[in-house]
Amino acid sequence: MSISASPAPPRPQVAETTRPARHEPPIIVFQNVSKTYPNGAAAIRDISFTIPPRDFVFVVGASGAGKSTIIRLLIREETATKGHVLVEGQDLARLRRRHLPRLRRKMGIVFQDFKLLPNLTVAQNVAFAIQVTDPGRSHLKEKVGEALYIVGLEDKLNTFPTELSGGEQQRVAIARALVHRPRIFLADEPTGNLDPDAGWGIVQLLLQINHRGATVVMATHNREVVDLCRRRVLAMEGGCLIRDEQEGQYLKEGEANL
Amino acid sequence: MNPVPALRFVVRVALQNIVRNRGIAFASLLTVTLTLLGAGAAVGVVFALDKVLQQEESQASVLKVFMADHISFASALNLEHTLASEPSVQTASFENKDQAAAQASSTLGLGGALHILESSGGGNPLPASINLHLKNIAAVTAINNQVSTSDLLFPGPHQTDYNKDVIPRVEHYILAAQLGGAILVAVVGAVALVIITISVRTAAFVRRQEIEIMKLVGATDWFVRWPFILEGMILGVISALLASGVLLGVGVTFGSGGSLALGVGMRLAVLISLGLILGGAVLGSFGSLVGIRRSLAT
Repeated sequence: MSISASPAPPRPQVAETTRPARHEPPIIVFQNVSKTYPNGAAAIRDISFTIPPRDFVFVVGASGAGKSTIIRLLIREETATKGHVLVEGQDLARLRRRHLPRLRRKMGIVFQDFKLLPNLTVAQNVAFAIQVTDPGRSHLKEKVGEALYIVGLEDKLNTFPTELSGGEQQRVAIARALVHRPRIFLADEPTGNLDPDAGWGIVQLLLQINHRGATVVMATHNREVVDLCRRRVLAMEGGCLIRDEQEGQYLKEGEANL
Repeated sequence: MNPVPALRFVVRVALQNIVRNRGIAFASLLTVTLTLLGAGAAVGVVFALDKVLQQEESQASVLKVFMADHISFASALNLEHTLASEPSVQTASFENKDQAAAQASSTLGLGGALHILESSGGGNPLPASINLHLKNIAAVTAINNQVSTSDLLFPGPHQTDYNKDVIPRVEHYILAAQLGGAILVAVVGAVALVIITISVRTAAFVRRQEIEIMKLVGATDWFVRWPFILEGMILGVISALLASGVLLGVGVTFGSGGSLALGVGMRLAVLISLGLILGGAVLGSFGSLVGIRRSLAT
């Protein structure tokens, strides 16, 4: 597939503040959720929280704290052992398998390892998300061009992922997640493989996506990013939710000195 | 979902799967061709054996009811008509003493002996008979019992002649050939199924990242499955075409008199080829379904 760049719309400004719609019903609900894996390991222990539409939430904690399990429960790659996970009011435990694709099309998902297909160009990687869900969709090139414009890679359409930096590869992954215009954007350690500058660029992009109206949940242990952004923080430890602050930091004040 | 672009995507990915994993695809193509070749050959051999046995059965299905000399011609004809109307009887024909003598002269070379007997005043010693050709070999014994105690041929019982020993043997051979053929086809079918399953499972493993992304961005299970099913189907059909080509080639080379080797007719050869193609397609798609199942588990 060869795509020419579409006329460039004005580049959106990075959001200064988020506008979580606290008066609206929550878009994500965790009700006394526990997850124990078949080997007996408890990844999450009885956690509860709600996320209103358009909120930006960091899920922080050390490795094994349960951050990624929260993401996996949200995309229903796993199901809760106890409790309820609701997305837009839908209990995911009751969601039939054939309705799972519909749930995932509402979500944009990015991971630490980018998950790009190395034999496809940047444009083909982004177009892939449309081709496998809605092959007849019109304006494919425009949608791909628009998504790549948002992430600032409109000039890399025919480049292969291996020719890009880590930060650029993550931007391609974000563009692929954006083509369905998701209402919920999930990022599992998106800066984990990046240098600080590239990582900060990705976080700014996620803030911009949040500003455009998507609810963003980002699992990370990047302390600087969390502290700079001053957004809502859910802190996990040993599978338990130990802190939920509206404008939180990675560590509670005083914890850094312990 | 628009079916045309979806179909185009599925076909493209299936062909890509085959080209990218051409080593595995070639190996499975070769093995499935060999197994289908075995299945096709087995069907041909079973058919040929069945044909021979049917001929044997046909010959063994003849029951000869001998008439006592004092039986009137009318009574004999009456019995012939009665027996001809039996559901298990194909044909019933009356053979008089002169016809029996002529038959014995021509087939057994007894003309000279019969002539001496007749010229010495002893007359024709051979009895008249009703020759029954039955539809099914299994009915021979029952008809024999019915005929040998018939009131129409007073006084009974009447002597009959049929090949008692051949009947159970032929029945046994037919059953063994059919059972053996079915087992052979089932075994080679199972082998082909396992090979295609392994091939598709390998292809799914090679493309695991692509499958993972498809699922994450919201592709349906069927959309993930279809390229693999089509891949298996393509491999199965190509294998069947190759196997059919080889079988037809061998059949034509060793055939004679308008039929292929083992006396297989062209109509049966076409039916076997169509069966192999259908079987290859079914084996390929079913093997793919089994092969891709694990990749769609989450």
